[in-house]
Amino acid sequence: MNAVMIAIIEPQPIWYLMLSALLFSIGAFGVLVRRNPLIMFMCIELMLNAVNLSFVAFSRIWGDIGGQSTVFFVLVVAAAEVVVGLGIIVSILRRKPGATADDISLMKG
Amino acid sequence: MLTDHNWILTVGVFLPLAGVLIMLFIPKEEESLNKAIAIITAAVTLAVGIATMAWFKYGSDSSKLQFHVDVAWIPAIKSRYIIGLDGVSMPLYILSMVITLLVMIYSWDHIPEPGNAKAFMILMLILQTGMAGTFVAQDLILFFVFFEVVLLPMYFMIGVWGGEQRQYASLKFFLYTMFGSALMLVAFLALFFQTGAQSFSLEYLYAHSSMISTNVAVWIFAGMFVGFAVKVPMFPFHTWLPDAHTQAPTQGSVILAAILLKLGTYGFIRIAIPTLPQAAVKWAPVIGVLAVIGIIYGALGCLAQTDMKRLIAFSSVAHMGFVMLGISTLTQFGINAAVYGMVAHGLITGMLFFLAGSIKNRYHTLEIAKMGGILKRIPRLGWILGMCAMASLGLPGLAGFWGEFPAILSAYSPFHNDYVHLSQPLFRTLMVIAAIGTVLAAGYLLWMFQRVAFGEASPLIAGDVDADGNDLHAGAHAGDHAGDHLVGERGHGAVPFSVGAAGNADPHAEVHDVGIFEWIAWTPLLIGIVVLGAYPDLMFKVLNGSVTKLLAPVQALTGK
Amino acid sequence: MLSTLLASDVVAPFSSPKIDYHALAPELVLAGVIVAVLLADLFLEESKKWVLSTIAGFGLLAAFIPIVTLAVSGHRARSMFGGAYVVDTYSLLVKGIFLLAGYVVVLLSQNYLEEGDYYQGEYYFLLLSSILGMVMMGSSRDLVTIFVSLEFLSIPAYMLAAWRKRDLKSNEAGTKYYLLGVFASAVMLYGMSLLYGDTGTTILKGIGAKLQNGSMSPVAVLGIVFVIIGFAFKVSAVPFHNWAPDTYQGAPTPITAFLSVASKAAGFVALINLIYVAFPHGGDVFQPMIGVMAASTMTLGNVMALRQTNIVRMLAYSSISQGGFILMPLAVAGGKSSGNALTAIVTYLAVYAATNLGLFAVIIAVSRKTRSGEVSSWGGLFSYAPLLGVLATAFLASLAGIPPLGGWVAKFGAFRAVITSGTNWGYALAIVGAVNSVIAFGYYGSLMREIWMKPVPDGDTAPIRTPSSLNAALMICGGATLALGVVPGIILRFSDIIKL
Repeated sequence: MNAVMIAIIEPQPIWYLMLSALLFSIGAFGVLVRRNPLIMFMCIELMLNAVNLSFVAFSRIWGDIGGQSTVFFVLVVAAAEVVVGLGIIVSILRRKPGATADDISLMKG
Repeated sequence: MLTDHNWILTVGVFLPLAGVLIMLFIPKEEESLNKAIAIITAAVTLAVGIATMAWFKYGSDSSKLQFHVDVAWIPAIKSRYIIGLDGVSMPLYILSMVITLLVMIYSWDHIPEPGNAKAFMILMLILQTGMAGTFVAQDLILFFVFFEVVLLPMYFMIGVWGGEQRQYASLKFFLYTMFGSALMLVAFLALFFQTGAQSFSLEYLYAHSSMISTNVAVWIFAGMFVGFAVKVPMFPFHTWLPDAHTQAPTQGSVILAAILLKLGTYGFIRIAIPTLPQAAVKWAPVIGVLAVIGIIYGALGCLAQTDMKRLIAFSSVAHMGFVMLGISTLTQFGINAAVYGMVAHGLITGMLFFLAGSIKNRYHTLEIAKMGGILKRIPRLGWILGMCAMASLGLPGLAGFWGEFPAILSAYSPFHNDYVHLSQPLFRTLMVIAAIGTVLAAGYLLWMFQRVAFGEASPLIAGDVDADGNDLHAGAHAGDHAGDHLVGERGHGAVPFSVGAAGNADPHAEVHDVGIFEWIAWTPLLIGIVVLGAYPDLMFKVLNGSVTKLLAPVQALTGK
Repeated sequence: MLSTLLASDVVAPFSSPKIDYHALAPELVLAGVIVAVLLADLFLEESKKWVLSTIAGFGLLAAFIPIVTLAVSGHRARSMFGGAYVVDTYSLLVKGIFLLAGYVVVLLSQNYLEEGDYYQGEYYFLLLSSILGMVMMGSSRDLVTIFVSLEFLSIPAYMLAAWRKRDLKSNEAGTKYYLLGVFASAVMLYGMSLLYGDTGTTILKGIGAKLQNGSMSPVAVLGIVFVIIGFAFKVSAVPFHNWAPDTYQGAPTPITAFLSVASKAAGFVALINLIYVAFPHGGDVFQPMIGVMAASTMTLGNVMALRQTNIVRMLAYSSISQGGFILMPLAVAGGKSSGNALTAIVTYLAVYAATNLGLFAVIIAVSRKTRSGEVSSWGGLFSYAPLLGVLATAFLASLAGIPPLGGWVAKFGAFRAVITSGTNWGYALAIVGAVNSVIAFGYYGSLMREIWMKPVPDGDTAPIRTPSSLNAALMICGGATLALGVVPGIILRFSDIIKL
């Protein structure tokens, strides 16, 4: 009985996976419903971090270093994306202050 | 046994492209030079064709593929460059060359609006390569490529040089044909796959047709059927034809009627039936019924037309119905008649479209009601029209008869062997209905001829009013104007050769009779109509062996 | 103390990976050229910036040389980094396509940039970086290398799409491309993490060995689905295509050409790598998904293209629909026509690259005169610029799949692949494809109609002067389009022997 309690209380890798799935869903949901480009962008970052968490958790389960090293690649790439993304978003906000994703629709059809 | 001259087909097919290559380097302002090069190219191509005819082995060898070439083309998809000529291909192959040359000669003084002889001639040369190639290809993929090559040139020919509704007509033509050929390609691939994915060579496919189960074969045949039937065109797929014909320039109509429609019927004979005999037997009644509907529908359509070109177009639907009826019997007799009908229809309907174009050139209208008394005004043209109308309705002694009559007769006893047979009552009923179709044909053609040719020259033809009915004498310069107006409003399109002095006030001198380039272009066709009518064996002898061979897979059916 | 630490075998001794420099030569040459462009840009004065495009062009051709030497040195696959990076016949072929397509894009960009007063050095730097990413994608056989290559090719492309930074349309193009691109990457990465979680390895071969039909865990299924969705964004497959038309319309035209050809091709290459190496036994999962996607992509792309009046936007939808045709063979990959499907896709990519780049070259040439992107601005093109008119017709006919131009070989291959799968829904896909190739002529034909049958809109029939680089691009693409159609062997002999 006691051992079972401990097993439940002690964080299991599966918990991290659930958290990761939750974060990913929140992020994806945010991208789909929010209209401010910056917030959308932050939501995407949340998704990427959910991925990182998931990689680390799986890495732990398998006792394999591959997943953890992947996280570094993701981190570095995400940093590069931030730089580019902020540049693009700033350039549009500078021309249209307070623009939302709905405003950015010159082209249709 | 086969001749050593097997290079000659390749030369015959691709020579027109050499002409195109030369013309690309000549500025388009050099109209005469461009036309001359195109005509010379077509003439040399025909010379090669005649040499082919001379070297062709007749008699029992005519059933074999001659001038056979088989070299690697696209090894990765097992498609080879296989070409060859047998008795069925030969007449059509030569016909395509003859028609192209004649159409080009006719074009010398009949380039339709908006001009640009260079582009017009180049398109015709490309068409020629596609048509000739289709008739000699012995590999499905090669056949498909040639079959498609003709699409774009014809699209532009109708769309650029056509009449008022040209853009609509050209697009309709294109979409219909493309729809057919897309399904056809799928069917070819399915056939390839079902026969073991070994080869696209027709010879291989003929030999391995029994590998396909009948259920599958029926579906594959359906794909081919749509592809070829659109081109023929058969009854439910025919609606593009009247539009295309009416809007196309004369040259386009002639090529379309004389050759392009035959690509479809040829496809049935060469590909669909021998590669899928088990499905052909199942489909034959459907084809037969649609063919007869086409005959009656085309004839009734003709009776409703007021435009001469549209009438000829509908008569094409009816005539191709006879051809398809012959094919649907799956008998040697019927298919011989069908091929004969194809050639005869090519000569006659091609000629009728020439005449319609020339009449339009002179009168700027093709409304039958507005014409009359052509025989009085331009007797030679009128008599030629009369002869062609007779040929078209199937008068014995002229070429049309030998296509139509045997085709109807063949339906009396459709295909049967010890295991499989087509429904005799059905085909005999079809025969009777088709016979009624010939009566209708006689009706509409004679009716058309009578209204156009006989009677007093209409005011229009007398030169007093223009096509819109305005009285030309009302204007101050009426006399001068009338002459110009009648002979060549479309600029260089109608340079008169036998016309009286333009601007002559005498209305009876305005409309010129058959001009010299028209004579050159038409005489061979007229001779062909008479010779093939008087001595049909000339062609039946060439055809028969090959037809027997192509039907061998059907004969071998065991009904399993 | 350090020495004792190093000597202890608590930590496994680090063995440096063996690097095959010959196999990496194309990437290394390209990396060198990228640095050269960046440095040259620093020291060149404004009037001499045109040198940069020359460096970039020759650099791409130089990177092509090792591909030839590798190709003639035998068909043995060279595997590096534990199988994460493999140079084989397939990767050489797609790398060759990427480099040549890149070269044509450089030709297209030259005058566009010089006359438009854009930053040239950075432009070529980014373009080459993106091409380097694509070249790497050809060899990637590991989830991480695929991810890195993908970002390597995408991030510069985001910037290139937003290159005209004073133009709101270009900003919009960049923003949409960026947000959806990164979103797709995140989805794909999550799928990758699930695949890793199910199999415990990131090497595609290892994943392929563990995933088996029928006995697949839900985690793996979800992983496959997410990864494919991620790439569906990249190849703008319906329903993940929304970004493509806006991005294509707003981006500078040479970049639109680049995105619609090379970037899309890279997405397909990644999909091929994944499907053929990692999920060869996952047909039950991906085949229906890709099949439905292919059918809806080609149909929706066509239907939308029919109602466009802007040429670039029309071509954007056309490129979506062509993407559907490229997806079609993938829907039967893993079955018995796997080999045919691979041949078909690579052939299609090559033909499509030549044709579409050629068409964009014509668009760039014509808009130099008309300054308009409307379909009607092409009216009567044949009458005053016959060569451009004929070339445009040839490219359009090729896209429509009419022999004897290249497109028919591509379409034929795709049909062949689905039909030789012998399944009923393979036939169904083929019929959908056949019908769509007819619908497509509706808009390709309408462009042809403008060129040949309509009057010149403003009556201005002055001939179009095309700069020599644009002429070169037109000739390369026109020659390739015709040659691929008449003697398809020149591409099929390569695409037929490739294996994964």
